[in-house]
Amino acid sequence: MKQYIRKADIILLIILIIIGVASTIFVVQSKSGGDTVIIESNGKLYGKYSLYEHHEITVEAQDKAHSHNVVIIDNGKVFVAESSCQNQVCVQHRAISRTGESIICLPNRLVVRIEGKGGGYDTITS
Amino acid sequence: MTQSPRKHSTAQWIARVAIMTSLALIFSYVESIIPYNPGIPGIKLGIANAVTIIALYTFGSKDAFTVNVIRIILAGLLFNGIFGMLYSLAGSMLSLAGMIILKKTKLFSIIGVSMAGGVLHNLGQLLIAAALIEDIRIFFYFPVLLFSGIAAGIAIGIVATLIMRVAKQAI
Repeated sequence: MKQYIRKADIILLIILIIIGVASTIFVVQSKSGGDTVIIESNGKLYGKYSLYEHHEITVEAQDKAHSHNVVIIDNGKVFVAESSCQNQVCVQHRAISRTGESIICLPNRLVVRIEGKGGGYDTITS
Repeated sequence: MTQSPRKHSTAQWIARVAIMTSLALIFSYVESIIPYNPGIPGIKLGIANAVTIIALYTFGSKDAFTVNVIRIILAGLLFNGIFGMLYSLAGSMLSLAGMIILKKTKLFSIIGVSMAGGVLHNLGQLLIAAALIEDIRIFFYFPVLLFSGIAAGIAIGIVATLIMRVAKQAI
């Protein structure tokens, strides 16, 4: 054993740290657009939207003329901003962002849910 | 210091591998009962890899490979479960292959080889996880696992260096 740390070790370390920093930047910037927001009205599919694009969707129920909900998708989060219903449960619901979460407005028969692979990374934790 | 395992009898080789495997297995066990949870699976010290590195440097790649495979299968059956075994196997095979190559270049010290081994171990686990879950987004983990691999690899490399400095005369 000549030396405990050699020049090549330092070079390798620097390369690995550069890869690490670069991949961190890459991961932070590319919040993957895989997840989709699914809006169902009256039991039927109303529309699919990307979770990572800004959308403001006004959903009008087909059977009731005055029923409407405004769903806002912003920065990976979805919430109901406005609703014509009496109880306003859907408006008070906190914003959802993970696969499998949903906001439901029963009076207007509206379901907003997030679909996609993954669901956090809980699946691989044993 | 023994260079080639073939110079000795098979019985000697089996005994030596068995001793090192039991040592590595004890390290695996000790690690599995340390109660710490960093919140992200895959981040751990990998104390047993110190034995792999010492085996690699003292007895050669054949011994290191054999010790590693037996240790992982036994640790999988005893503590980690079959899936843990699969992850470990993928990680350590990639790690060992990388370490053997780096050692052959003769440019790196034990610490550097161990550091690369730590990173490759985590990369192998990540690849097998991506294959099992079929979700490429698991690579969001990559930076965290890379840095933890560097840290664990350097720590294990220092430990292996110190142990070998003492044990060299004894082996």
